[in-house]
Parts: sequence; C-alpha cells; structure tokens
Amino acid sequence: MAESYNRDSEPTTRTLLRRVLDTADTRTPRRRRSARVGAQKALLETPSSRRLSTPTKMNVRRGSHRARSIGRLAHVHTSGNLEEQTPRTLLKNIILTAPESSIMTPKSVVKPVPTPQVAQSSRQESSRGSLELQLPELEPPTTLALGLLAPGRRKQRLRLSVFQQEMDQGLPLSQAEPRGNASASSLTSSLSLNFATPLQPQSVQRPGLARRPPIRRAVDVGAFLQDLRDTSLALASPGDSLRTPVATLPTDTVLEDTQPFSQPLVGHSPSVYHSLPFLSHTEAENAERAVSHRTQSSGSRLQNHNPGKPAQLLSGKAKKVDVLAVRFPNNSSAISGEDGVEPLQDGVGEEAEERMEESLSMSEVMGSTGTQGSVRTEKSKGHREMTEALEAKEPEGSSEDEDISGRTASPELASSTTESLQARRPQFLEPSPPPSTTVLSSEPLEPLSTRHPPRARTHGPRPRQDPHKTGLSHYVKLFSFYAKMPMEKKALEMVEKCLDKYFQHLCDDLEVFSAHAGRKTVRPEDLELLMRRQGLVNDQVSLHVLVERHLPLEYRNLLIPCAFSGNSVFPAQ
Amino acid sequence: MAFSTTVSQRKYIKRKAPRGFLKRVFKRQKPHLRLETSSDLLVHLNCLLFVHRLAEESRMNAFENKYGIIKKEHVQAAAKVILKKSRG
Repeated sequence: MAESYNRDSEPTTRTLLRRVLDTADTRTPRRRRSARVGAQKALLETPSSRRLSTPTKMNVRRGSHRARSIGRLAHVHTSGNLEEQTPRTLLKNIILTAPESSIMTPKSVVKPVPTPQVAQSSRQESSRGSLELQLPELEPPTTLALGLLAPGRRKQRLRLSVFQQEMDQGLPLSQAEPRGNASASSLTSSLSLNFATPLQPQSVQRPGLARRPPIRRAVDVGAFLQDLRDTSLALASPGDSLRTPVATLPTDTVLEDTQPFSQPLVGHSPSVYHSLPFLSHTEAENAERAVSHRTQSSGSRLQNHNPGKPAQLLSGKAKKVDVLAVRFPNNSSAISGEDGVEPLQDGVGEEAEERMEESLSMSEVMGSTGTQGSVRTEKSKGHREMTEALEAKEPEGSSEDEDISGRTASPELASSTTESLQARRPQFLEPSPPPSTTVLSSEPLEPLSTRHPPRARTHGPRPRQDPHKTGLSHYVKLFSFYAKMPMEKKALEMVEKCLDKYFQHLCDDLEVFSAHAGRKTVRPEDLELLMRRQGLVNDQVSLHVLVERHLPLEYRNLLIPCAFSGNSVFPAQ
Repeated sequence: MAFSTTVSQRKYIKRKAPRGFLKRVFKRQKPHLRLETSSDLLVHLNCLLFVHRLAEESRMNAFENKYGIIKKEHVQAAAKVILKKSRG
C-alpha cells in the first residue's frame, strides 16, 4: 500500500511516517479494515500533516509516538466505527494520498491556501463522526490560522523545518519569517501531540523591537572642570569677592568629594544660619561674604537639617568655604578658585555623575558654565536645569532673581525637610552666589525668621474656610459646566450657599438612615436609599446605571462589583 | 456690566471626586458618624446629580425669562425647587 511510493531522500513527513509504519510492529488487529475507512480520513490528515511539516525531529518523534500509541490503542478499541481508524491507518492513508512532492518547497512561497482548501474539502468528505485522534479536530484552527496567514505573508518564506532548525540554533530570524512561521509552529505545537517548539521570545523574532538600555552619556569630568575653570577665569569683578573665600580653600577638601555629608561638615552646620544675618550686610557690596556665607550656609544647611545659629559661622568660615566648595561646583566656579576648584570639581563631578543620571542637565550646566555669561545667569540656569533634572523640591528657583532668594529659602526648607540625600540637590542650587545682593538681604531674613520663632503668618482664619471653599468650588465649577451658559459671579456665590445647605441636608439624611439600620457608619446602602427617595434611582434606573453614567471608570470599578478570574469578585460583596 | 461679571465657560473639568473634602465635611457635621470608602464616592455622585439638576433648572429659568446669562435670581428659584426635591 503505502510502500509503493518511492522514498524521498529528504526527510519529509511522508517518508518519516512510512518509516514508522514499516518499522513499527503492528499490534492492531484492525489493520486491514482500517485502510478503507482511513482512506477518507486520510484526506483530513494530509493537510494537517503537510502543514505540520515539522522538522525531522518532530516527525520522528511524532511517528514514534504514534507507533507506540497504536499499540496501546489497539487494545483499548473494542468495537465501533471509530475503532477502525488507528493512528497507524491514518498515517498510512496519509502516505497513500499525499502527493509525492512536498507542499513546502524550499525557499518558495508556501501555499497554505491549497491546504486549507484541501482540508475543507476533506472535511466535507469526512462528515462522519469525529476521529479519535486529535489531528482532524485541530484542523480548523490550523486552517483558519493558515488561511489568515496566507494572505498576509507572501514575503519570504522559509521551510518551516529550516526555520525551526534555525530556531533551535537560537538564531534570531527576520520579522517576516518568524511571524509567519512562528504562528505556524505554534499551531504545530498545539496540533502535534507532544511537540513543543518553544516560541522564541518576541525580541528574538523581532530584533527591531528589542529594547536597548538607554545610552547614558557619561559626564566628561575633565571637560566639565575645564569649563568651570574657564568660567571662573572669565569672571572679573563679580568674582572678586567670591574668589576670596575660594582662595582659602585648603586641599583637604578632597577628602569630602565623595561623601556629601562627611563628618567635618557636621560641625559646621550650626554656623550656617549665622551667615544669614551677614548676608544682609553684604547686600551693598558684592557679597563676597555673602557668597561665602551663602555657600557655607547653603552647604551646611543642606548637610545639616537643623538651622543653627550663624554665630559660629565666622570662626569656621574658611573651613566651611572649602567644604562647601567641594559640594558646589558652581560656587567654586563663581569664586574662581582654580586650585581649590579642581579637587572640588572632581569631587563634585563625581557626585554629579552619581547623582544626576541626566547627563543633559550636566551638559547644560557645563555649557552654561562654559558660556561667558554672568555667573549668576549660569548658576541660575544651571541650577534651574539641575533643579528640573533633579526634581528639585523648590520650584521657587525658577526665575533668575528669585532663584537666589528662592534658593536661599529653599535650601533651608530642603535641609530642614529633606534628608541628606535630597539635600544634596539643593546644594547645587545654593552655591550660585547671587550677585544681586539686594534680594539677599530680604531673603536671609525670611528664612531666618521662619526658622526661629514661627513668624506670625496671615494664615490664621484662612485654612478654615479655604479648604472648604476650594472643595465647594469644585462643585461650583461643575455647576457652571453643566449650565453651559455664562453666569454671574453672584449666581455662583448663590450656588455655593445652596451646596452648603445641600450638604447639611445630606448629612442629616444619612444619619437618619444609618441610625434606622442600627449602624454608626454610613454605608453605600444608605446612599442608595437616599437616592431612591430623591427620585434619582427608581425601578427603571438603578444605582449602577447612574454610576456608570456619571462617574469615571476608576470609581466605577470601585463601586460596582465585577467578577475577575480565579473566582474572585471585586469589590467583595 | 453683566458680561464683565460673568464667568467664562470651562472646556474641561476634572472628574476626580474630592474625597478628602467630602469626608471632612461629613466629619464636621456629624463627628459621631463614620463614612465608608465607597459611600464617599456615592456621595460625590449624589452631589454631581444635585449640581446637575440645579444647573438644568437654573438654565431653564434663565431661558424662560429670555436671559442669556444665568442670574442670581434664577439660581435662587432653582435652588428652592431642587433642594426640596433632594430632601429625601
């Protein structure tokens, strides 16, 4: 029967099946009879088997599996029409009926279209009961899938066997092939009994979609330092005062470079705020002291969360300056201390690299420092950028002038509120010596006052009414939105009053309802009852309908119970 | 005169529920009671519907008097009606 065909040299499905049939011992008693019945079924099998033109391994595996299963099936089968079809017979019929040439020709456009057609025709023929084997039942999905594939994929087609061989080797394939063949192979795996050609991860199949880690530009510390040095050199008069503190920078600052909050700084913390009063004094001059104070204060402020008394600042000014200078590259640049700057900058550069992943900000800073603009501009810009990049807490440091004042204030707040890690960021902000000392005078006072005695704010009565008004204003805005017409301001005030009254009524009603139910908590049932009494919810319109209509999806998910997988309902009933 | 005191229409409104505000209001009114989390949202829904009805009523009042703007009187009259309805 099947042996009449000449064997192909290459391992096709048919050859393998034939081999299997030849080699496997026939244990089924129904071999003879099955041939006839199987012939019709074979048509069903052929398309599937053809489509499953799996590589050699799979065929062999399948064939052997079939061979083994045949024996098992033989004993199981007792009687019935279905018994006549054994895997063995089916395989035989496949070989009988399948055309000699393989459908999947090498490198040619595979035609799954004929196979579906054949499958369909065969399916029509085999309108008998379902086969025991899985193959025919699994045909429809294959057919459909391949039918879908066929129109879509006409580009390059490798033989599935070749593709899968390549896959086994782990070679990433082009998009066209894997997509088309992957689905086929996935179908294959679903169809075939035990073959699981693992689908390569998408990245392998579509190398174009693979996500590459973002390329981070490393900060060129050398260039950065050079820029800083250039900037500091470029500074003329503004830098005079700034330079003096830098000149006093000892070289021991190098120790600090990697540890933003090393011990030596701690001692200087209390003196930070003492610098503030001095800042006011330096308002007129170029605030050399102010700058140093500032840097010191800012640095110490940052490092120490407690605002200390600035009295001690004077004593340790020099030390602080260098310590602070380590932290504040901009400061050093403004100060234009070359010698001291370098180690500082190195340290700062390292810190910057650690800190700021956005090299953009750093490059901006470098660029800003490189420009010959005013120190302040650079600083503020750099600071601003760094602020943005570092998500600085203080958004005040946005405008130029306000930057300075804001930065003085912000470091305080930052130091007081944030930990050392976060305080580091403001460090970069603060160091910029604000040339405009006019702002300094006012600024230092404010932060000081906030620090020490809680300044009497004008927020006394405001918090009480304000949040209430703001909450109500939400609904007032909604009112104006629903009205779709321009409204008078007085009308809006009227709406506010109405809302107040409404809330009172609401609370009273809810209290009554919950008390009626013997509860002390207001639950959704009370709300539903209230809405029912208001006439919003009736037999035609249920609460869920209203929820769906008016509330956004997130709230709807919270309110309306929905079934999820795993036999769970959320929210729980 | 009227136009200068009118409020411009909003194109987009936020749909978030001021849950904190609602809870605070309820607590202030009824400190001995507690409000559940889900009922928070239902209260918001109730407010939305109330405001909606109020706005509709005010609009109708303004239309009836052939006003292009909603005035305080319209709102007042509407409030009377709607508050009565929302009594429960």
